[in-house]
Amino acid sequence: MNNAREIVTSYRGRPLRIMEVCGTHTHEIFKLGIRNLLPENVKLVSGPGCPVCVTGAGFIDEALLLALEHQAVICTFGDLVRVPGSEKSLAQARALGADIRIVYSPLDALALAEKEPDKQIVFLSVGFETTVPGSCLAVRKAAEKNLENFSILGANKTMPQAYHALKNSADAFLFPGHVSVISGTEIYENLCRQGVSGVVCGFTADEILTALAEIISAFSENRTPFFKNCYPRVVRPEGNPAARKLTQEVMDSCDAEWRGLGVIPGSGLCLRPEYALWDARKKFDLPAIPGRSNPACRCGTVLRGDCTPADCPLFGKLCTPEHPVGACMVSGEGACSAFYQYGGEF
Amino acid sequence: MSDTVTLAHGAGGTQTAELIDRVFKAHFSNPDLTGDDAAVLPEIRGKLAFTTDGFIVSPFEFPGGNIGKLSICGTVNDLACMGAKPEYLTCAFVIEEGFPMEKLEEIARSMAKTARTAGCRIVAGDTKVAGRGQVDKIFITTTGIGRIPENIRTSGTLARPGDAVIVTGDVGRHGCTILLARNEFGIEAEGVTSDCAPLAHAVETMFGVTSDIHVIRDATRGGAGTVMYEVASQSNVGIRLNADDIPVDDGVRGVCGMLGLEPLYLACEGRLVVIAPKEHAENIVTALRKLPECAHAAIIGEVTADHPGKVVMTTSIGTQTMLPRPGGELLPRIC
Amino acid sequence: MCVGLSAKVLSIDNGTALIDATGAKRAVSAELLDDLEPGDYVMVHAGIAIAKITPPGDAGDAENE
Repeated sequence: MNNAREIVTSYRGRPLRIMEVCGTHTHEIFKLGIRNLLPENVKLVSGPGCPVCVTGAGFIDEALLLALEHQAVICTFGDLVRVPGSEKSLAQARALGADIRIVYSPLDALALAEKEPDKQIVFLSVGFETTVPGSCLAVRKAAEKNLENFSILGANKTMPQAYHALKNSADAFLFPGHVSVISGTEIYENLCRQGVSGVVCGFTADEILTALAEIISAFSENRTPFFKNCYPRVVRPEGNPAARKLTQEVMDSCDAEWRGLGVIPGSGLCLRPEYALWDARKKFDLPAIPGRSNPACRCGTVLRGDCTPADCPLFGKLCTPEHPVGACMVSGEGACSAFYQYGGEF
Repeated sequence: MSDTVTLAHGAGGTQTAELIDRVFKAHFSNPDLTGDDAAVLPEIRGKLAFTTDGFIVSPFEFPGGNIGKLSICGTVNDLACMGAKPEYLTCAFVIEEGFPMEKLEEIARSMAKTARTAGCRIVAGDTKVAGRGQVDKIFITTTGIGRIPENIRTSGTLARPGDAVIVTGDVGRHGCTILLARNEFGIEAEGVTSDCAPLAHAVETMFGVTSDIHVIRDATRGGAGTVMYEVASQSNVGIRLNADDIPVDDGVRGVCGMLGLEPLYLACEGRLVVIAPKEHAENIVTALRKLPECAHAAIIGEVTADHPGKVVMTTSIGTQTMLPRPGGELLPRIC
Repeated sequence: MCVGLSAKVLSIDNGTALIDATGAKRAVSAELLDDLEPGDYVMVHAGIAIAKITPPGDAGDAENE
């Protein structure tokens, strides 16, 4: 690590913009104080890899409709509880009597459905390649058991198309470690052939510094474009084929709207028609809800790496972790939250 | 006596008297607890610390304690934080109709034992019974008085640059225990029990080392991290902590890893944050470690003149980063 | 984006693995991994073991990834 650290701190070459795609990287990089080690000519920008941040306000509105109008029990990861919808958050709805349960796994929501057969249980399925197989597993088990009181409200997304949308936002990417666990590294080899550079990065201090050192060395030595798996103890080149197969059996790709990036064709995952009974939108015949965000909120621009949170007029004033306006402030992994929590001058 | 608490037990008649005699008086018995409307206390000289606290916890029993023990520790520790020796306590119960009598006895027994350990007496009490669903099983409020010895003054406003920051044990155990006891996340951690303990003796021990202790705070709701920010703000100083020096139980670390939580923000019920001049810090920690409830006491940082109002962490790789400010409900971070 | 935890497999029963991360234990789905055996280390995300891994330097260390 000392060598990696030396490479990172002593870089004097051309200015570099490195995008950490994954929200957990954003969080850990702040927590470990790694930004403070970087020389002035290396800038880390936060990307769109926080599922909560790229999910539109309309999704929360749909969940609230299910909870308040259809009296469904909403099972969700804790990440989503404080995210503002057009009018209120799940936490605010809970205070009004909505039954909102925080779960660790989609399989816990499924278990709840089996335990409470008189209630409709809806799991809020957000997340990328890493999280999707769990939702698929829950749906497939529900189908096998013919469980009629379980469904998922989906806002799942996949990364490949986003990389293409972002390829001009940075000189190199820290690719998300746990998405890569599932997807494998072939996609990055292909991106490299198209001129997009990056490394797969782990989450400890050693792993993050090693990944940054790899990027910086590649630029110093003019080895661009490049790709390297810097998280080989966890990420295999072939990824997790069983997880991908399951996902393909249960879900289809679809267009998806990303807060800040707009609609990216083919970047979403939706349940296949044969699983329509477990698709909350179809089951409860939900209307299309566009969702309204505060127009001054610049989450979208932040998510593209085009501005820093501090450039947003709401940041730290109207928008704080206690009273978040945009999703990037509410999620513990959001760039705004991380900047606010860790970024103070000292 | 019936197996469960009924509305009649709260109606003020013979059943109320029976409940008080058989459960509370039987366990709390001491010369100052009489049948009169108020306790009459002997003269106490010197400055007094006086505090009150309400306790609700679900579940009411958990590994390492129950709501009874908690209700005594909470008030005793608040008094101890002011350097006071806890003397007298009162307690008020609101009990849900149908609450098992046997559990109530267990709670009373824990309260009596904890009060004895802390060296104080329960001298007055009250019991109300609420209809089913009107309270969640049992709520307890305790109030306490303690005497502050001469020459002792502690306050959140007294931290000074150059002081050392000490915790009296590993952090986050109580919060983690309750999280696991609710069994919402299907996680088990055998070794993780509540740190719930009365700390009057620990405080006395510290003052045995030196009377020059500036701040003592119990790190309850919001955990040790919240206390750091409170003191930094009240004293208008900076605090710098060393991440590697903060004691955290392995099981707590594992649970926090699974759920994306920070141990510094999980509640403790038997941990103090102590701020004292550096020259006394080692001796304070050495003395504390001899007590079983403070076996993992450690110096975890220092008070600085820099960055007033902020808490900075020196990370495991030697970099500096802000400790995130405490904020609202702790929510697991998964996706 | 995906909080993961490396943990040791204690036992496996019918597609479910009991895992241990420095003393915190939980049952997770082992259905997405072949040939998992007690003693193996896995990366766990949202109640699913998603990869068999080489244990980190400090085995079972919570990484809060």
